[in-house]
Amino acid sequence: MYISINWIKDFVDLDGIDVEKLIYKFTMSTAEVEGITKYGQDINNVIVAQILSVDEVENSKKLHKLMVDTGKEKLQVICGAPNVKVGAKVAFAQVGSIVGGQQIGQATLAGQISNGMCLSEKELGISEDHSGIIILDDDAKLGEDIKNIIPVDDIIYEVDNKSLTNRPDLWGHYGIAREIAAITGRKLKPLDVENLELYKDLEQLSVGVEVEDDENPLCLRYSALRVENVTKKVASWKMKVRLFYCGMRSINLLADMTNYIMLELGQPMHAFDQEIVGSINVKTLKEDAEFTTLDKQTRKLDKGTLMICKEDEPVAIAGVMGGYDSEITENTTKLLLESANFDAVAIRKTASKIDLRTDAAARYEKTLDPELTELAIARFIKVLKDEDKDIKVTSAFTDVYVKRYPHITIHIDKDYIDRSIGKVLTMDEVTTTLKNLEYDIAVDGKNITIEVPTFRATKDVSQKADIIEEIARIHGYDNIEPKTNLWKVAPVQKDPVRELEYATKELLASKYCMNEVHSYVWYNTELNTELGIKVKDNLKIVNGIVRLDNTLRREMAPTMLYAVNKNLKYMPECRVFEVGRTFEYNFDGKNAKENKVLGLAVSSTKQTEKELVYDVKSMIDSIIKINKNVDVKYTNIETVENNWMHPVNSFAVIVNDETLGYISVVHPKVRDAINPKAAIVVAELDIDTLGEMPKHDIMYKEISKYQTVNFDLSLIVDKDTKYAEIEEIVKKADMEYLMEYSLVDIYQDEEKLAGKKTVTVRFTIGSYTDTLTKEQIDAQREKVLTTLKDGGMYINE
Amino acid sequence: MMEEKISLLREEVVAKMNDVKTASDVENIRVEYLGKKGLVIEILKNLKNVEADKRKEVGEKANVLRVEIEKMIETKKEELKELEYENSIKNSEKIDITIPVEDKVGSLHPITIVQRELEEIFTGMGFTVEDGNEVETEYNNFEAVNVPKYHPARDMQDTFWLENGELLKTQTSAAQNKIMLKYGAPLKAIFPGRCFRNEALDASHENTFFQMEGMMIDKDVSISNLIYFMKTLLSEIFKKDVEVRLRPGYFPFVEPGFELDIKCPYCDGKGCKVCKGGSWIELCPCGMIHPNVLKMGGIDPEEYSGFAFGLGLSRLAMMKYNINDLRALNSCDVRVLKQMNIK
Repeated sequence: MYISINWIKDFVDLDGIDVEKLIYKFTMSTAEVEGITKYGQDINNVIVAQILSVDEVENSKKLHKLMVDTGKEKLQVICGAPNVKVGAKVAFAQVGSIVGGQQIGQATLAGQISNGMCLSEKELGISEDHSGIIILDDDAKLGEDIKNIIPVDDIIYEVDNKSLTNRPDLWGHYGIAREIAAITGRKLKPLDVENLELYKDLEQLSVGVEVEDDENPLCLRYSALRVENVTKKVASWKMKVRLFYCGMRSINLLADMTNYIMLELGQPMHAFDQEIVGSINVKTLKEDAEFTTLDKQTRKLDKGTLMICKEDEPVAIAGVMGGYDSEITENTTKLLLESANFDAVAIRKTASKIDLRTDAAARYEKTLDPELTELAIARFIKVLKDEDKDIKVTSAFTDVYVKRYPHITIHIDKDYIDRSIGKVLTMDEVTTTLKNLEYDIAVDGKNITIEVPTFRATKDVSQKADIIEEIARIHGYDNIEPKTNLWKVAPVQKDPVRELEYATKELLASKYCMNEVHSYVWYNTELNTELGIKVKDNLKIVNGIVRLDNTLRREMAPTMLYAVNKNLKYMPECRVFEVGRTFEYNFDGKNAKENKVLGLAVSSTKQTEKELVYDVKSMIDSIIKINKNVDVKYTNIETVENNWMHPVNSFAVIVNDETLGYISVVHPKVRDAINPKAAIVVAELDIDTLGEMPKHDIMYKEISKYQTVNFDLSLIVDKDTKYAEIEEIVKKADMEYLMEYSLVDIYQDEEKLAGKKTVTVRFTIGSYTDTLTKEQIDAQREKVLTTLKDGGMYINE
Repeated sequence: MMEEKISLLREEVVAKMNDVKTASDVENIRVEYLGKKGLVIEILKNLKNVEADKRKEVGEKANVLRVEIEKMIETKKEELKELEYENSIKNSEKIDITIPVEDKVGSLHPITIVQRELEEIFTGMGFTVEDGNEVETEYNNFEAVNVPKYHPARDMQDTFWLENGELLKTQTSAAQNKIMLKYGAPLKAIFPGRCFRNEALDASHENTFFQMEGMMIDKDVSISNLIYFMKTLLSEIFKKDVEVRLRPGYFPFVEPGFELDIKCPYCDGKGCKVCKGGSWIELCPCGMIHPNVLKMGGIDPEEYSGFAFGLGLSRLAMMKYNINDLRALNSCDVRVLKQMNIK
């Protein structure tokens, strides 16, 4: 919202105050200021002059040769404006004056000398109008500085609307002036208004307000007044310039008046042409309907939308915009003035529904004070009379007041204020601040009873915390010294899931050369199609900007594959991971289950799928062993659930009999879509479940003091025999002196031994109490060989 | 006779030693003189043939010669070894240290690095770290933090609504209510997390970003305490004494609410790229927790008060690494992320 300092000066004396410093204080005490514009600084020495003669210019259809009288001299001026006429008083930029920051010099146009120029409103910087030159009133004095006639000089500052969300009282200049009065400690001048009592004996207007819900009426108050004999069509320079500087377009006197009062008091107003709308009925639409607003747009309205009607015929969308058919025009001389208060939620709903966030709607949705409607009408009449002294009020002030907000009284004691702020203020400062903000207060010792003014009582100020804010912000947060408090110190409980998450990330990045990425929590539909990834249906976003990408991820793998797909375009190898959330939704309308999951993908055009699987297995092993000190079991997944997983080479990760994830070679179809030359392996690990598992204690195991003996056995087994099967048999052999065993080598030679492979295992035999004899060692070897033979495994002699 | 022979042998050995080239030459000398049939050993073996009166003298001399030769052999061997080292060093391959080596370190996401740094600061100050959900109820995200339906404040946050009536949380504040109900007062907690806004992407707008929010609730917590705390905290984060200022800001879950600005720590307020010449950086919305929010969290606002603050993790990460496009953070582009390392 734009604030004009000239306008503020109508209500607060700012003499001797540095305006820029004041605006800074406003930022620090009230609301964020987004920018300051100084108008009129680029205009200098523009004066009133009169056109004495208008002649054609040879060889030009557009240009005119004027003789202009500045009061001091008569000058020839060449002018292209169509509205030049003899006798007109104009805004004249003489040679040497400054316009738009440029100095005006003598010029030659169409071979004719021009000693200055007549300005349009746009050139003077007071509107966008460039259709012709400014024509001043006939009583303007020749040679007078234009700034004495048109208030070109002003400082405008823009307040961030968001920071006024909770301040309905600040949506007009008078409210801002009240703040400035409190900040500067100066007096706020009372508003100059018409006494509406004068008209109380005139005819009451016909105003009906339908109330469906007494507790929550959609129209809280509807005030109206009829005005006739409006003869002036154009607003004063002051009004036009202020409106323009504050971001509005001047239309005609009556339209400008409603905008002016809205910008001054924050109360939206509407003027109906009395010839078209003579009575008012406020009620909701009973059926969906179409309605043409004054911007000539036909809009679809839902039933239940609150409308202003003439009898049953809608003439305005309440609180949002008037209708095209009842709009005031240049010819309107009689008007029916509306000043009303509507329910904030209802207006907000309607405005968002039809996407029409007007200035009026933006104010109503902040919950305006219903007391304002009467004040706004009284002010309207006063200002209108200043503009057009012949107007006549021809009705009584007609008022349907449906609902008043409850009066709010707050009790607070001085110690509470000091404690909350953390600084001891004087009682005088507290009461002065509150009085300047127009609270009524009564002090009894340390107790203060505060009556909240109506314009703050609609929702903004209701309790002690609100009063603390008023006092502290006007005091200035900069003036509060930072102080510590005696807080108890307690040890912080660490969250095992978070610890695991960080340990995992650090391990993968520092040991396994993995790069952490952040992907989106929804699937990319386009990429799924491109890569041939089929995902299970899941919870959807219903209002996303990109309509396609609305399904939340149930698995991490697809988003990891997107990352691989992207990076393999630039590099031969890509190793990425993310600890992110996945979501499980069962389409039952209930809440979704959310899991923290590690997703990772490694891919290479140099390594084999097998190498990558073992690489990933090592990662999973390390994560689990380092953090939980338990063994991990891997089994083949019989039937894969997702189409990006390899039907044969997909493996479940099992800890404490619980499946915590999987490692899988990427299905060749998906792989080919990404890069047919790359090997790609993905894995997922449930961090939530693993994190909550207990960490097993590490038990020290003594090293034998006696000599141990190693022997290797090379076993010939079927090509598909798993190492785990050999381990099973070793376990079954139950060798009492077995200290440990390990895999030495796997060898396969299809030519020599078709369908077989040789697995060499090293056994370490020993005892904690003796050095073993040759017989004891041979017995161990014999035992394992027998068991292996029973299991169909033979040694390579 | 024998004495002469001994002294001749000595001369012989000394001469031969001088010509020695290799370890095997030394060994040959040893065998020739000190071996089982070596010339010196032979003398010692045949002492019985020497006249009795000279036997002792010859024996001693032969022994002296033996010891001398042993020493010479030892010294020669050492000399040769030394020479060998010298040669091996001289002939060793010169390693080019400037040849690039394989990069064996991955990288952590900048958000992770910044988040962990902040969490360490906070846990050091006694704060619990809590995890919020990403899918949240409307109640937790809005109502419980004092933003009822149709409140204009909802405009500030374009929300991703989900088909089951839930939403993707628009702010970490969504966790406030749950944490208050879980711990009660007094309370010190931070809750970092991913947030979502339904808006179009550009260099400074993302639909997915990270925030960190904190709450501190105790008896008699004042505005002055909040300023002190924020100043201490931010000085810790920026590793220098930062100047802060508070101005009114509107956030429905706090009252009073503040916008906290810091004097730009990169240029000390002189004006730079980070503060866009403005010298103050709007960094951290904060405020005294609204009594309604405390009440909804089961905490009596008459007994306890507290403050809450929010930090834009994505924003801090961008400042820290001089990233000028917010979209880089979610790009999954390893060329970008790899620059971050892990600390």
